[in-house]
Amino acid sequence: MVSVRGLRKIYVVPEREAGLGASLRSLVRRRSKEVVAVDGFDVEIGRGEVVGFLGPNGAGKTTTLKMLSGLLYPTAGEVTVLGHTPWRREKAFLRRMTLVMGQRNQLVWDIPVVDSFELNRAIYRIPDGEYRDTLAELTDLLDLEGLLRKPVRNLSLGERMKCEVAAALLHRPAMLFLDEPTLGLDVTAQRRIRGFIATYAERYGATVLLTSHYMADVEALCKRVVVIHHGRLLFDGSLAALITRFSPYKTVVIDLDGPVGDLGRYGEVVSVEEQRVTLRVPKGEAAAVTGRLLADLPVADLSIGDPPVDEVIDRVFSEEPEPASTAATGTAAR
Amino acid sequence: MTFLRLLWLHVRIGVLNELQYRGNLVVQAVESLFGLASALLGLGIVFAKTETLVGWRPAELLAIVGVYFLVGGITRVVVQPSLARFMEDVRLGTLDFALTKPVDAQILASVRQVEIWKGIDIVVGLGLLAVSLARVGESVGAARALAFLGALAAGTTIVYSFLLVLATCSFWFVRLQNIFVIFQSMYEAGRWPIGVYPPWLRGTLTFLVPVGFAITVPAEALVGRLSSATLLGAIALAVVAPFLARRFWLVGVRHYSGASA
Amino acid sequence: MIGLADLYRAQFRTTLATQLQYRVALVIWLLGLVLSPVVYLAVWRAVATSQGGAVGGFTAGEFSAYFLATMVVNHATFTWIAWEFEYRVRQGTLSPLLLRPVHPVHRDVAENLSFKALTLVVVLPVAGLLSLAFRPTVATTPWAVLAFVPALALAIALRFAVEWTLALAAFWLTRVEALNRLYFLAALFLSGQAVPLALLPAPVRLLADLLPFRWFIAFPVELLLGRLSPAGALLGFAAQAGWLAVAIALLRVVWGRGVRRYGAVGA
Repeated sequence: MVSVRGLRKIYVVPEREAGLGASLRSLVRRRSKEVVAVDGFDVEIGRGEVVGFLGPNGAGKTTTLKMLSGLLYPTAGEVTVLGHTPWRREKAFLRRMTLVMGQRNQLVWDIPVVDSFELNRAIYRIPDGEYRDTLAELTDLLDLEGLLRKPVRNLSLGERMKCEVAAALLHRPAMLFLDEPTLGLDVTAQRRIRGFIATYAERYGATVLLTSHYMADVEALCKRVVVIHHGRLLFDGSLAALITRFSPYKTVVIDLDGPVGDLGRYGEVVSVEEQRVTLRVPKGEAAAVTGRLLADLPVADLSIGDPPVDEVIDRVFSEEPEPASTAATGTAAR
Repeated sequence: MTFLRLLWLHVRIGVLNELQYRGNLVVQAVESLFGLASALLGLGIVFAKTETLVGWRPAELLAIVGVYFLVGGITRVVVQPSLARFMEDVRLGTLDFALTKPVDAQILASVRQVEIWKGIDIVVGLGLLAVSLARVGESVGAARALAFLGALAAGTTIVYSFLLVLATCSFWFVRLQNIFVIFQSMYEAGRWPIGVYPPWLRGTLTFLVPVGFAITVPAEALVGRLSSATLLGAIALAVVAPFLARRFWLVGVRHYSGASA
Repeated sequence: MIGLADLYRAQFRTTLATQLQYRVALVIWLLGLVLSPVVYLAVWRAVATSQGGAVGGFTAGEFSAYFLATMVVNHATFTWIAWEFEYRVRQGTLSPLLLRPVHPVHRDVAENLSFKALTLVVVLPVAGLLSLAFRPTVATTPWAVLAFVPALALAIALRFAVEWTLALAAFWLTRVEALNRLYFLAALFLSGQAVPLALLPAPVRLLADLLPFRWFIAFPVELLLGRLSPAGALLGFAAQAGWLAVAIALLRVVWGRGVRRYGAVGA
């Protein structure tokens, strides 16, 4: 479905400096620098896979999605999506994919939602029968009944996003690029969209590449995650493998049948709630510490687990140190 | 003198802001240049076919174009951008910040936004007036200069009052962003002496949209065509108009507070 | 073709529904559009009167007819695409349009036509009212009125193609105002909007003949008013067709390059 080899994207951006003098100077001479957004990146995604695309802000996620969906020309590298080269934007390709990015793409602000859907029906040349079926299905799955007749500007953020997603899927694309589809939504709306994406992907065997800041999205939807950092592939595998690899710690939770003393000597105390203590211990020592805890203390219950995904991800993003070939690679006067 | 202090403050902010966007200077210079070119080309073509237009000689008409740029520049530097921002605030519901400041809201709404580069039009206008006077070839006595300044001040005040009334309407009709477009196209009609228009339009351009008072009257004063009766009329209107506009504004503010509370 | 017709129908409904939301803004905007020709109309009537009734082959009544017809033709042909396009490129709203399986020009054509269909309903009565005030005199022939229909259609297509191409400058320039101003200044005087071309000095008239502007305003207007000979009409059609071909060819080339650049610098 998606095959990416050696993908690179370098932007040339003008430099701006503060201050009156600098502004006046820049009237005459513009300085610019190159910024490497994506720096050699390979990935293969098979049909029907739902892949989480992770990385800190500025890692190159959005740039990559734009190249995969055909908006941006890469500086170097080869990409095939659904058998097409995306940036040629062939109609056969565009009819089979969709990009959801931000909240004001598909819908016309001042008119009822269903009229925007009608417009998309005409744009994608969806046959009438298929359109009716898809619309009914989407209305059901996303609970759009009651929203369809309202003008877009009267919808809440969550309602609008549901309609935006529906509009983007009316033509039943086989490839979905979703950039932060749940950003800014309340928990209920997030859950709804999440559930919908899972159902859609399963029902139509669609391939999904999604970015999200909410690990709940990724945990619920993606068997596989791809992590990029500084424009480079950092990890590609299952979420569990990501945690094993990047978390050197285990979390030990114990319930005590007695007074809770200072447990600092067993490991780092993360929290104490009444009789329940959560400890963080180095992975290699987990077994030994558990043994000591059971021997020393009146333990009623004990469990060993991995730290929360968010915590691991934070660690991945903040600890990866090598800024290999990022940021400024020289200045030039134009 | 709150007014002058506030104005000065916003001029400074405006200058600092605008210096950030070097493009705006160029854009405004180009805009003024093309405005001037289209005015002069229009005059040139007309006066290739006739010696006078409803009694105005070419050099005198240049004074009209000069006042057109001058008054237009004055309103576009501060009044129009400020009032436009005020209307936007009403639309977005962010006006409360302005209403709760310890200065008069009308003054704040009138001087809050300064677009300094629009001042190029003022320079162009003054230049045209100088050329016009040199071409007319008469010396301007103290009386005439005074009459011109009086008529100019009166005209500007009347235009301000008119714009304030237009902007105040947005308290009731929220989506009026482009109402200044009407004023702009009416104002363009003032590039020519209002005597060229048929009576119904002349009436509209004098009393409904006060373009005649803003442009033709000061220009008449400068080239010595103005009767003292007209001048007195203009000054009288310049006293009454801001008063009425102020009353209307206060009604609008009360309506707004009532509706949003 | 059927798919495209369907798209136009859907776009027509969308535009209509959108515009009807902004009725007041629409009327205000139309007033502005009407006023500008009225100014030139009044000025040239005054000139004709001061010259003893006629100037450059136009009486006061003929000036009225000329400028009222110009108002309608200008309205039918104008586009706002130059501003729209700059906004799209700057705000990134062009991106979703690029990912649709249909060329973005269709959306603009459809939108423009629907908008005109809506506003002509207002502009034509306004032109009628203004005729009561300015008493135009017209001496035209049936063939000229008939020929006006295809001339207007070609004028709409030509002006659209020219201005759509010009709008693509936004791909290269961050501020397009200067270019737009220059274009509109040239169009104002060389298309016959500010003054009938017959009143311009000979070298300027020649320039107007060579540029596309007059063929999308002055030509259909003069044709409608019966001011052209059959030979002049044929020449006009030829010029319209020739310029249309050039403009469409240019549009394709510039669009291709512009989109390539847009995709390189960051969509």
